[in-house]
Amino acid sequence: MVERETEGSGETRLETWVSYVLIIGVLLSLVLELAGIFLFYRSSRSIGISQSRWMFLQGRDFFALLIDLLRETLTTYSTVRLMALGVAVLILTPYVRAVMSVAYFASRKNIKYTIITAFVLTLLTVSLVSH
Amino acid sequence: MDMASLLLISIPVGFLGSLTGLGGASILIPLLVFFGIPVKEAIASAMVSIVATSSGSASAYVRERLANIKIAMYLEMFTSVGAIVGASITTWIAPVYLYFFFAAFLTTSFLRIGRRRGQHLLRESGFSHWLELEGSYFDEALKENVRYQADRPLLGGLGMMVAGLAAGMLGIGAGAFKVTVQENILKLPPKVASTTSNFIIGMTALAGTSVYLFSGLLNVTLMAPMAVGTTIGAIAGGRLLNRISARYLRILFFFVVAALIVQMAYKGIRVW
Repeated sequence: MVERETEGSGETRLETWVSYVLIIGVLLSLVLELAGIFLFYRSSRSIGISQSRWMFLQGRDFFALLIDLLRETLTTYSTVRLMALGVAVLILTPYVRAVMSVAYFASRKNIKYTIITAFVLTLLTVSLVSH
Repeated sequence: MDMASLLLISIPVGFLGSLTGLGGASILIPLLVFFGIPVKEAIASAMVSIVATSSGSASAYVRERLANIKIAMYLEMFTSVGAIVGASITTWIAPVYLYFFFAAFLTTSFLRIGRRRGQHLLRESGFSHWLELEGSYFDEALKENVRYQADRPLLGGLGMMVAGLAAGMLGIGAGAFKVTVQENILKLPPKVASTTSNFIIGMTALAGTSVYLFSGLLNVTLMAPMAVGTTIGAIAGGRLLNRISARYLRILFFFVVAALIVQMAYKGIRVW
């Protein structure tokens, strides 16, 4: 019997946290999207793929769009907004993972990986807010 | 096609994408194009399903210590830059070229087939050790511990930048190319390459999605069912991967990629 020697990258705590962030983000977005599709069908009796301009997500700043979607979902009944919020949560999931990685390596005083992960996070942040 | 059928189709697509390391979008885009969805819209919307596929399967791979997150984070520096540039190109290029680029890029996937087992045997590299690009895992199929260290990290990074460029441009995870770079340049074991690729794909897709968000190409009625279906499939695939022999994965990979190349090239010729 071979003794298991699975160390992965050696960062067990971060691996566990990342695993939870990914699965929670995905499950939350799944619930929102499924609820949106179901309610969309109930209200319109149609589940066709639409080319209406209301069905397209567009924005110059992802975080502003996310806040708008949250506000609209909480204050008005819009099944399309609910689906869009699910998609936005999904987009946010790897971003949260990037934020967490920078915080983790900074707290461990691992300068190399703090710089590496901060570079990716900065690039993502700029691309999500600066169009 | 409606949202329900798209959701149902996306489940086996996510499953296959997860097992082969291709990501679901490489399979979904040709299918969407086949059903008459404009190619740019299909590419943009598929990017979001990549985030779903990657996150769904990567959560299992990371927990099982198969994906190496340090190698992933190092390589993400390169793929993210490439993805942003690639997605920007797609927003202004004529759609017809995208069919051919898509088919041509997928042919690079076959580079992976010729690789022989055993090439991942540990080679000491000072720079790689300094970057902490090493680790180990227990292979369920081989019933043995596999230790590895990434070889030629700078060259591998450049290869991953090309992968990111193609990913952003074509709306795919470019998983096959990423796996090829990791197996052939970085000399990582196939399962580590495949799972680490899956982990990286989500971040690359996020970088590309930001460009498509600005361009207004993200269709909610496409993205939501695709994301749900591919996620369910990817989670199932992620749970099976370590129990399937690498040889069967290669055969599956070959047939899936061959079918996709034929479909996209055919569509491109018809549109031309």
